[in-house]
Parts: sequence; C-alpha cells; structure tokens
Amino acid sequence: MKIAIFPPNSLILADLVERKGHEPLVLQKEIRKKVTDPEIDSPPFNITEEEPIKGLKYAAIEVPSGIRGRMAIFGPLIEAAEAAIIMEDAPFGFGCIGCARTNELCMYFLRKQGIPVLELHYPETREETMEVVNQINAFLDGLEAKDDPKGGD
Amino acid sequence: MSEEDKVTRMIILGPAAQVSQSQVVGELHMLELPLTIKSTCYGAVVHGKEEDVLTAIREIRKLDPANIFTKDRGFPPGDPRRCRAKRGGAREGFHQLEKEFELLGFVGEALEWPEPVEIKKHGKISPEDFKKIAEECEK
Repeated sequence: MKIAIFPPNSLILADLVERKGHEPLVLQKEIRKKVTDPEIDSPPFNITEEEPIKGLKYAAIEVPSGIRGRMAIFGPLIEAAEAAIIMEDAPFGFGCIGCARTNELCMYFLRKQGIPVLELHYPETREETMEVVNQINAFLDGLEAKDDPKGGD
Repeated sequence: MSEEDKVTRMIILGPAAQVSQSQVVGELHMLELPLTIKSTCYGAVVHGKEEDVLTAIREIRKLDPANIFTKDRGFPPGDPRRCRAKRGGAREGFHQLEKEFELLGFVGEALEWPEPVEIKKHGKISPEDFKKIAEECEK
C-alpha cells in the first residue's frame, strides 16, 4: 500500500513503513523529479512559476504563493495515499516542514481523504520512541489484515 | 539511461550498529552492482538504477537489520546545489538527520526487542506546590 507520512521527509517513518513492505510516499521522490529535470538547472531554484499555479488546486488565490508552491509538491503525494501516518510536533530542523500553514493544510487534507490515519507525537524519550514504533507496526499490520481479509499469502 | 531515471538512497547507521561505515562501503563494492557509492559520516550514499539500489539496500540491511536505516534522497551525490564541498556549512537536511539520529538507537531497540511500554503522563501541579516553588524562587 502507498502510505503518506508526515513529516514527508522523515527517516524513521519512511524506514518503518518500508520494513513492513509498504511504499512510503516521501517528499524526496517528488523533489528528485524537479532537480533532475534538465529544464531546471539554475541553482538554487528547483521549482518554477508553474508550481504556485498548480497549487491553486489545494489552496485559494489569497493564500501566499509559498504555500501554494509547497502544496503543488505535497498535493500529489496526499492524493496517492491509501493510508497515512502523521507525526506532529516534529523539531524545526525538519527542513521542508518549516512552513506551519502548509503543515496544517497537509494534515487537514490527509484527515479529509477518508483513509486510515495514525496520529502520533514526535517522541523524545526511550519509552515514547518504543511506543511510537509499536503503534506504527500495529497500524501497518492492521492495514495488511484489511488488505488481505483471508489472512493468507 | 538518463539521470532522471536514477535514484539516490542514504544508508544511515544507528548508534548501536555492529558495522562501521567502511564495512558498509566495502560490502556495497563487493556486490559488484553498477552504482555510485559514497562513504559519509552517517553511513553511505548509493546512486544508480532503482532495482540495483534496492538490491544493494536489501543486501546491506542483512548486516545488522535493526540498526541500518535507509532514506530516499532527492539530489544525487555530489550535486553542487547541495554538496558541502561546494557550498560550505551544513548540508540541508543534516540537522534533521542529526535530530532523528538521537532516536535511532531506541528505534533499533524497539525493532529488535519489541515490548509494551507504559508512558507516564505528567499530572497537573497542585496550587500548594506551585506556591511553594514560587516562594523558593523569590528567596
């Protein structure tokens, strides 16, 4: 199954999803399409004026172009998702999630998709991390069971 | 094959990993796959055809399944837009990796020896205790 993760660039989430045989919908895959496109070769830019226009599908014209530009990249990932894991309160060092309004919009869209969603808080201690890993594994096992109701191979 | 069809993966060793970066890079070379392999402080970066990269990841995980983590990377290795050698300072994404690395030991432990845990929730402080603390601070 295609699993959207939030933060969309999280190493821990992507790795845990992949270990269970699912496909994590990570931001880096979308970014790769942008940065290896021969038409975009002028660093540091890796998006064009097209992105805020594409972002109109997810946010109104009054919304800042930065949010619309980000949504043009996050949006296709959200649409492709069959399930989602949201980890709130991630540290600010998480690069691309520095825009709080985009984060809120992404989480809103994921919750509105009508797909199974697991919501967690960013762990800070050993116990919290163990609990997060247990919850993610249980959630992913539950998805497998739903996917294959007979429980066979 | 064009550069657009190639993928890049970061291999990150957890703090409790039983293998070193050089061992990982050595093993990757021994696989004899057509990949670009770069040794880094956190593990390695592999770049090449998707199927070769995934084969390399699968094989390298066998060295220490609970403590070898992998993550996609958008930019190819040594890309002047991201490479530290060209720009100076920390690469974008480094601080995130640094933050997540702090938890990788616990994640590895949870994967190797899963156990139910009980999280203590912090209760509310009573007005008496709060008053005592405030008085101590005033001294």
